[in-house]
Amino acid sequence: MLKVNNLTFQYKNAKTSFSFPNLDLKEGENLLVLGKSGIGKTTFLHLLAGLLTPTSGEVIIDDVPIYSLSNAALDKFRGQNIGVIFQKKHAIQSLNSIENIKTRLFFSGKPNDTNKINLLLDHLNIDECKYNNVTTLSEGQLQRLSIAMAVIHEPRVILADEPTSSLDDENCKKVIDLLIQQAQLTKAILIVITHDHRVKSLFSNSITL
Amino acid sequence: MNIWKLSIKNIKSKPLYTFLSVFVLALSVFLLLAVRQLESSLAFQIKNNLGAIDLVIGAKGSPLQLVLSSVLFLDNPTGNIPYAEAKKISKSPFVKTAVPISYGDNYKGYKIVGTTDKFATLYDAKLKEGRNVEKSMEVIVGATVAKQLDLKLGDTFQSSHGLIENGIDVHDEHMIIVGIYKTTNKVIDRLIVSNLESVWDIHHHDSHEINDEHHGHDEHHEHHEKEIEEEALSREVTSVLISFRNPSAFITFPKQINSTTNMQAALPKYELDKLYQYTGIGFKTVSWIAYIILIISCLTIFISLYKMVKERSFELALLRTYGASNFQLIRMVAYEGISIGVFAFLLGYALLRMGIFIMFTFFETDFDQYILQQIPYTELLKIGGGVLVMIIFSVLFAIYPIIKMNISTTLSNEK
Repeated sequence: MLKVNNLTFQYKNAKTSFSFPNLDLKEGENLLVLGKSGIGKTTFLHLLAGLLTPTSGEVIIDDVPIYSLSNAALDKFRGQNIGVIFQKKHAIQSLNSIENIKTRLFFSGKPNDTNKINLLLDHLNIDECKYNNVTTLSEGQLQRLSIAMAVIHEPRVILADEPTSSLDDENCKKVIDLLIQQAQLTKAILIVITHDHRVKSLFSNSITL
Repeated sequence: MNIWKLSIKNIKSKPLYTFLSVFVLALSVFLLLAVRQLESSLAFQIKNNLGAIDLVIGAKGSPLQLVLSSVLFLDNPTGNIPYAEAKKISKSPFVKTAVPISYGDNYKGYKIVGTTDKFATLYDAKLKEGRNVEKSMEVIVGATVAKQLDLKLGDTFQSSHGLIENGIDVHDEHMIIVGIYKTTNKVIDRLIVSNLESVWDIHHHDSHEINDEHHGHDEHHEHHEKEIEEEALSREVTSVLISFRNPSAFITFPKQINSTTNMQAALPKYELDKLYQYTGIGFKTVSWIAYIILIISCLTIFISLYKMVKERSFELALLRTYGASNFQLIRMVAYEGISIGVFAFLLGYALLRMGIFIMFTFFETDFDQYILQQIPYTELLKIGGGVLVMIIFSVLFAIYPIIKMNISTTLSNEK
């Protein structure tokens, strides 16, 4: 369960402040957040992920108001309950694909289940490059690896920032389908934030900032 | 996966930087250790070789030369002194033992020292096999001599004149080995010890033969013993090694010798301390160079870590979103620095051991006398601690960006 109440944010030394819509999402629900560039989409996502402290308002995940947590507790909570796909596709470059996933599990404190990892990699069709260093992965493989990284620890909330911006129509649909599918598997809440109107039809539930 | 593994992977992913950091740091560790090693070995060596010798009395000249020649057997003697004078000195109430030595010959580069039985006690040398010297031309060889020249009891050899090996000026007499000393790690290991008569006999052989012809065979024997006694007193020795009965003698006795006799008295400890101070300047210079390299190497490590933190700020922010705490990231950087430090320290130590091994393998005979002392643990700890402190400083400066990191901004910044 995810609730957003009266969330506002103002960057330091900035005149304008952002205020964000209230949300109330249940287990397994999806939400598409649309908005033009510069409207505060990424800010919203970072607020939901506990990466930015809001000026006012609160974000409640599974009855936990995350901004009332201490820094260390928030780090831990984030690691366990939130999975984020960032706009910039990136992984730890000194590691190969499977090591990246294991690192993700290590920091979230979840058990290192090799079977589960293999299953997921297989499902995302990147098991052939699991021992490849991430710097050698193609754009598409990296995209799918970042999806794997966001879901492997079975988070309560999956947040995706512009996951489709660099993809063609076909792959765009594939990626969103994969995300929805993965979220369904673990009954996670999926929030996709994008300016890409192509994906609108794939979601039943959407808001515009 | 854990933080250690991540650090190691990070290190491996930039082999050139890692190599540079480790190599430069190892070099400074090696230099620091080597200086300490040589310093402590030299100090030990000097102390060790002094044995129970408090004073050396020899011909006038440089006191350092007298000490180097008569105590360490590293230099030519300053000259000779009359044996009768030496005898007189040994009667002084200050003197506990007085050991006359006389030398001027060598066998294959190893010096032959004519002396008395007390010589061995100065170095605490015990016989490994054989017996003590009983008459002229009998010798006991030191452990190193026996090993290097593969000498056994009963072997005979001809000495050559002078203190360095030569094949031209060989004496006719055959010396016979009657004993071999146990290893002492002192200078006696590299000496061939005979009695004083052997040295005199070799050098006065010609005159002796002429004398012999004047005597009938019957009376020869009794005359001969008397003759030796008389002759001995007219003979010369190189120097006398003295140990005192009590410490007060250190002040008065040398002065007395220097002012009232034609000989000089030198305090080996004083002379060698002086020498040691001169060489100490060299050690200090190398130490400073090593410290400068240490600082440079820590700068290298700092730059490498800082560069990593800066360049991979996105990755570090990503790790934060995975649930890593600030402290875990700091540990990751710290482990990286510490791994490099530990590895470099071990490499430096290995280089030192290797250097010593090579030195011993290739210059075995030259360095045998030079006993290498194990570096004291306190020195190892000091140098290791110094390296650790430098690394902790490097890490502390390098992690600053992590503490200041704003995850959100870092992740939003397109690069």
